[in-house]
Amino acid sequence: MRYTSISEELEVTKFKKRVEREFEGYFEKNGFNLIEPRIFQKYDMYVRSNFRQDSSRTVKVLSGNSRIYILRPDITTNILGEIFSKWDGEPPLKVYYNSKIYLNRPDGKILENYQMGIESLGEDVFKADQEIVHMGTRLMGTLGRPVILELGSSKYLDGLFKELDLDQEEESEIRDLISKKNRYGLRIRLKELDLEGTVLDHIFELQGDMREVIQRANSHPMNSEMREAIDELESLMEGSSNRYSSGEIKFDLSMLPDLDYYDGIIFKGYCLGVPNKILSGGRYDRLTEEFGLRVPAIGFMIDLDLVTRIRMEEER
Amino acid sequence: MDNITIAIAKGRLGERGLELFKNTDMEIVREENSRKLVFKDAKGKTTYIFVKPSDVVTYVEKGVADLGIVGKDVILEENKDVYEIMDLDYGRCRFAIAGFKDRLSDKKNDVLRIASKYPQYVQSIFENRDQRIEIIKLNGSVELAPLIGLSDVIVDIVETGNTLRDNGLEILEDLDQISARLIVNKVSYRFKYDVIQKIERILGGE
Repeated sequence: MRYTSISEELEVTKFKKRVEREFEGYFEKNGFNLIEPRIFQKYDMYVRSNFRQDSSRTVKVLSGNSRIYILRPDITTNILGEIFSKWDGEPPLKVYYNSKIYLNRPDGKILENYQMGIESLGEDVFKADQEIVHMGTRLMGTLGRPVILELGSSKYLDGLFKELDLDQEEESEIRDLISKKNRYGLRIRLKELDLEGTVLDHIFELQGDMREVIQRANSHPMNSEMREAIDELESLMEGSSNRYSSGEIKFDLSMLPDLDYYDGIIFKGYCLGVPNKILSGGRYDRLTEEFGLRVPAIGFMIDLDLVTRIRMEEER
Repeated sequence: MDNITIAIAKGRLGERGLELFKNTDMEIVREENSRKLVFKDAKGKTTYIFVKPSDVVTYVEKGVADLGIVGKDVILEENKDVYEIMDLDYGRCRFAIAGFKDRLSDKKNDVLRIASKYPQYVQSIFENRDQRIEIIKLNGSVELAPLIGLSDVIVDIVETGNTLRDNGLEILEDLDQISARLIVNKVSYRFKYDVIQKIERILGGE
């Protein structure tokens, strides 16, 4: 077996740096400014504001006076803390980041991973949705392979669940079945709960071609929250129709957010032949409330290591 | 139509899955006693690969196979990030905790020793129970463990319960239902949606 030599490794780094500069240039051209997150965060502050996260995964550090700090485990909440301590919601703020995060791995080693992404804060919802989705699609387009952006809205299912009289356990069971696209399992559970024939029973039909999904969704009853989800997606579709071919975007109303603070559009980017998502993001107005001020907020993260690998394969 | 790769679990469960493709344009012909592990259908559009059951889930998660046919027991044990879109409605059995009836299996402060071929699954079952456990991973003849004092109870798949009875064991608690399932890679699901829908229909879905 032959290992890569140091010069080969440096070639890869050089290539990656080139892609990084290209992306950073693209962000800056669109008015996004670099933000450098702090590396150390106070442990007790983190636990208080991230009670849902598993804090055992964070890497702890002791300072000289024996206070506990953690190495930043994610970027978004880190920079929001920084921003909201000095910003009162106006004018709109557009930032991008490109920094490492640190987490304990199950095998006991420390994972360090680059995260690159953008956040748009305080901007008009419709305008920002358009801009962010468009930028995500553009970056995916540089891969040189077929790509798909999967778009949904957490508001649709959130709204739907409010119409149903389910306890927390039942709801999370159903959400779990939906997240596995487990149609038969869902059907059996719905039958037990006497929810046959409801929109939930048709949830997996609400994915695929944008126009068809909207049409099918419109044939089901909706409350105001679900309606909002559809309206936002629809306007996104109209705004996008002349920019990229519809094949690149698929709607999926059965899509569940990876992070529970998303409320609004959510999306994931896939590339043919690559088994993991390349890009993921969504709207998280609700999260900003925890920082003392509710503002419209949306962003995405892109996996630069994967992007580099794909582009190297394509360009060789 | 897109090319598609299906990972099939070696053994009875996979063979039955393959039979479902008979008389469709995705059927494959295999020579008797062939040791080949990769087969293509007549048009060369569908590739079948035959691998160990626990590897089916890995192949699908990593995207080298778009789809997989494998038992729910393996899916639960491997706990990987894949879609599980169909119950193929055969190979029905269930997970159960079994042991001696008259002996207490709830040991509270004492460590309960559990023998199983499915350590991850056992871990997940006991995660939220107030019971300290030790998992003893075995690769076969799990029923033997309580008889020779290796464990207090076992967690295994049970079809008829005959093997348990023959060894003087009883079911203490029923756990998840098992059957053959169709799993899909998340990216393939989006890119090959139409073909996957077609395969769902072939396999008896709507």
